[in-house]
Amino acid sequence: MAAVAVKYPAFQELGVEVLAVSVDDVATHKDWQEKELSKMVKGGALYPMISDEGGKIGTLYGVYDEEKKVDLRGRFLIDPDGVVQSAEIVSAPVGRDVSEVLRQVRAFQHHRKTGELMPCGWQPGKPTLPPEKESSNLSGKVWETWRPRNAF
Amino acid sequence: MSIRVGKAAPDFAAQAYWRGEIKEVRLSDYRGKWVLIFFYPADFTFV
Repeated sequence: MAAVAVKYPAFQELGVEVLAVSVDDVATHKDWQEKELSKMVKGGALYPMISDEGGKIGTLYGVYDEEKKVDLRGRFLIDPDGVVQSAEIVSAPVGRDVSEVLRQVRAFQHHRKTGELMPCGWQPGKPTLPPEKESSNLSGKVWETWRPRNAF
Repeated sequence: MSIRVGKAAPDFAAQAYWRGEIKEVRLSDYRGKWVLIFFYPADFTFV
């Protein structure tokens, strides 16, 4: 949560709206924001903290744990047409990587604008592959324009 | 799991705490924008 709050300006620059969701009620969200998040990060969480009481939203997204009565660490990237483009669910002991989410946003936005295909590990400035309709003749020739080292 | 990439994101509406206020958030109100939804287990934990 704090990591997303720190990177929130980067999401805003990319025109991405952030929605945080847990089963806590809004009073607890307010408490956490005032007592802790705002002390860890300037301004704290500046995006909506949604209360998913009863795990209804988590159930819709396949992340609600009915035994523990909490939403698991699920992350979904939705495009301007309301279509899910990327999804990740991580179990409790391990945290997520915000930079990977930003990378995917940049890659999906570049693809949406240009139609180009975004290879493994793409970052701004790295080579892309031509749009799908032109890349059918790439079969067996990807090595000419893209090397595995570009993935790292 | 009722969700898949390439398919419409399920709509929902719920109460949210946002910048000092309580307001209703509806996913479909964000149509036309990129949206990142992230779920986490609980407040007051490090996630």
